Amino acid sequence: MAKTKYGTLVESARVKRQSKFTKSFESLTFDGLQKVQSNLILWARALDAVNKHITIPQDQVDEAAGAYALIASELVKKLKWDQNDIKILPQGSSSTQTLIKSPDASKFDIDAVCQVNISRIDARNPMRFFNEIGEALETFTPDPKKRCWRIEFPNYRFYIEFTPSVPLSTVPTTILDSVRYKPAIDYRDTALAVVDTPTEQWKTSNPEGIANWLETQAKKNVMLNLALEKATLTFDASISPVPDQEIPLSDTLRVAIRLFKRHRDMSVRRGYLNDDYKPISIIITTLLTQCFEGLADNQVKYDHPIKLLIDLAELLPGMIEVRNREYWVANPTVEGENFAERWNHDQGERKEAFDKWCNLLIDDLQSILSHHDEALISERVREVFGCTAAKPSDPKPSVGLAPKAPSRLYSPPATKGLA
Amino acid sequence: MPELKRVTRNKERLFPIRLPLFPDGRQFQAAWLVLPSGFPHEGLARIRLSEDAVLRLPHVESKGDICLDGDSGVISGNTAEDRLNILLRNFYLDFIDPWLTGDLDADFSLEALNYWTIHVSRSASLYDAVTRIYTVDTCSKNPRVYQARLLLPGRIVVAGDNPSLADGIIKSLGNRASQISNVLIADIPISYELTPSTWPRKEFDLERLIANRLPEPLRNKFAKQTRRRGRAIHRIVILRAPRCSFGFLLSGAPPTVVERGHSKRSYPTRQMLPLFVERIDPSWTCGRDQHPEIGNRQQKHVLVLGAGALGSSVIDQLAKAGIGRISVVDTEILSTANIGRHLLGAESIGRAKADVLAQRIALSNPAIRLDPFNMSAQAWIDKHTLAGVDVVLDLTGEPEVRWCLEKARKVNPCPLLIGWMEPYVAAAHACLVPAGEGWMFATSDPLESLQAIEWPAEVMQKEPACSSEFQAYTSAAAAHAVAVVTEAALALIDNHINQPIVRSWVRGQSSLDMHYPGLKHRNWAEKAVPFDGISMERVFRD
Repeated sequence: MAKTKYGTLVESARVKRQSKFTKSFESLTFDGLQKVQSNLILWARALDAVNKHITIPQDQVDEAAGAYALIASELVKKLKWDQNDIKILPQGSSSTQTLIKSPDASKFDIDAVCQVNISRIDARNPMRFFNEIGEALETFTPDPKKRCWRIEFPNYRFYIEFTPSVPLSTVPTTILDSVRYKPAIDYRDTALAVVDTPTEQWKTSNPEGIANWLETQAKKNVMLNLALEKATLTFDASISPVPDQEIPLSDTLRVAIRLFKRHRDMSVRRGYLNDDYKPISIIITTLLTQCFEGLADNQVKYDHPIKLLIDLAELLPGMIEVRNREYWVANPTVEGENFAERWNHDQGERKEAFDKWCNLLIDDLQSILSHHDEALISERVREVFGCTAAKPSDPKPSVGLAPKAPSRLYSPPATKGLA
Repeated sequence: MPELKRVTRNKERLFPIRLPLFPDGRQFQAAWLVLPSGFPHEGLARIRLSEDAVLRLPHVESKGDICLDGDSGVISGNTAEDRLNILLRNFYLDFIDPWLTGDLDADFSLEALNYWTIHVSRSASLYDAVTRIYTVDTCSKNPRVYQARLLLPGRIVVAGDNPSLADGIIKSLGNRASQISNVLIADIPISYELTPSTWPRKEFDLERLIANRLPEPLRNKFAKQTRRRGRAIHRIVILRAPRCSFGFLLSGAPPTVVERGHSKRSYPTRQMLPLFVERIDPSWTCGRDQHPEIGNRQQKHVLVLGAGALGSSVIDQLAKAGIGRISVVDTEILSTANIGRHLLGAESIGRAKADVLAQRIALSNPAIRLDPFNMSAQAWIDKHTLAGVDVVLDLTGEPEVRWCLEKARKVNPCPLLIGWMEPYVAAAHACLVPAGEGWMFATSDPLESLQAIEWPAEVMQKEPACSSEFQAYTSAAAAHAVAVVTEAALALIDNHINQPIVRSWVRGQSSLDMHYPGLKHRNWAEKAVPFDGISMERVFRD
């Protein structure tokens, strides 16, 4: 059977990789392998606990959604537009449901894109459009960035990066030629034109396309053992349905993206990586999704979640394409856009950091696999992902959260002074 | 009713607090309500956690006490019962709840240095080979490996690339740095402050960091090495985050030898030791990193003529402000009449002011280079040129010096400050003349015309310079003049002055009347009359 695009890429990545994993598995005895297999649930539960720990609670995400409405009504009011002229949608990690908590108390970034009816603006002057939006949002004291306005929302746990855009399909053909990059054919419907302020030109972007692509791939299954999902999730039959951002372990791709991003964040916090050169989220997300798609296309199946994660970590470096001696991580929804553009102008710093990070991740995942005792597995998993106090997924009612307020306050003991 | 658990040595009473069931990984052994002996009339009630909570839960101090808003004390007017209720409520709502949900975890990063201090002090012993590291430079962008000096018996390491500052610190440390040996440093910038959940716990973690952050040649340079004669050298890792740094002494290397009476004992470094790192570079010591101009000041050479009551303190202040080099010119010997208002005191009587001042200030401010010249200002100007001088401060008050400077500045234009005090420090002035502008009006010296007070002939005013017959004033009164002149000098040094101006400090009428009857302000200075004193700025050529 002919291989698909990403299937071919995965195969070439497999050839290129220097597998530590295979060796470590080869060195395992049959008994060891048996143990690994029978303790599957332990690993799955430990990973699920971490996944839950790094999830941003749904109420905070909803709070941010409320802020979209606030921004929209402000724009409609100030620019005297009609309610239907504007549509605000999440983009980035919040639209791909791969948003994670920062290791410190810093705010999380809710990327939003605002689509404006083109009849409301002068398409020949993208900068005017960009600035008009900024001026209309004056009360939020927005800060201009490359393609968006950053709004801080003091006293909230998030900030919003707000990207003004128009649907690309509505851009007049006379202007289309000057728009930087073209949409990939399969994702033309969702393509947008955003303002690239350094070049003062329109640029094609496609956040919805990325989210749809990821969604499609995430539905594919590379885990052999569906019992695994059962083991973790139906541990208690009374478990309540999961809200949107809370991704169950069965959603393997998104869990992998979140865990990898968290590991990246912790590697920076630990000083293993320089923050300036760390792999950016869109690169991790794109490469993992490509890899996942390729594995699914090649009908590769895994019987162990850690094995899958190790394989993904080992394949990632090989998923980076080299085109005309330049590193490429192609945006699958926009032709010609290279997410790794900056890798080609930094004396190899980012590429080196990426490779080193993948190696750190592989080593850490392997160290998890080397434990067989439940407590040790769970401790090591928490350590690796920087959740030293992550809640386990074991949903015994008695181990729930503390009540919002103490059920009763202890009376202070009588003292001489009170007597 | 909770039971009294125990009474500690300092008569605190501890009552156990019942804790919720903790999920895996979140347990700690116990929590107590702690009442000090005089409670409720004296002291504040606190919550203390068992020792296993230290460095595992944020906001827990080294002895287990929680740093939490709680007991508002007897001054709040609340009853003791209310005070304890509030404390316990806060403990549950602001501490236990967020700890259980994970919301508290991130708080470590808010006070990273505190937790590091706890960690270092818990790991320290009397026999550690190194107790502390001072860094003499700002963090470089790339990792470095270099040799640095270990100072004994202080067991202090001076690290970083600034040899003259390092030498200065060694001098300043005196007999704490009587013996010097070398150590090998890996100095690595990191992006975030380390916390108990991210700092390396085992040497393996640190080795991993080194492997990832040091390029291969540096890695080889830092690799465990034995000198030719077989004596190992201490290896230290410094991780520099934006707001604080973290040090680690690696295991191995020479043991610490401790003398006890006639016997000597060796204490080897058996495991990685966390170390306290303090910055001693001028950007930090002089400006706490909030004054970018300090980097520029470090490059400046300032010539100060006159190191008397005004000059000595101005030089001291300029050193504290981060000036890199000052040439101090004064011909006088410190006498008993000086010590009431000079920076130097009795220990320096009979010695040349310039020499001793340079030594004294350099000892306190190792980042500055001070060159003393025991000669008159005129002699200095005759012998040297102003080439290479960035700013001149004439604090002699002598007309001949001003005249010589006028000529010298025509050859080598350079910004000039002329500073002086009027009798009784009734006023002090700093005249700021940018490079290229002259001081003299035609051929006359404008100094007298710039003064604030009409001085009757009876008030001795040979010249505003120091002389034994001059009016007495307190060192405190002169401190006003020192502040005006130093701030003006810094404005000139930082290139903020582009036209000739005079900055003046003028005391009010009541201050004048205390010293001599019937003194009057000149017109321009009359604004000061009702006040204790005011500062003013005028354009010089008006």
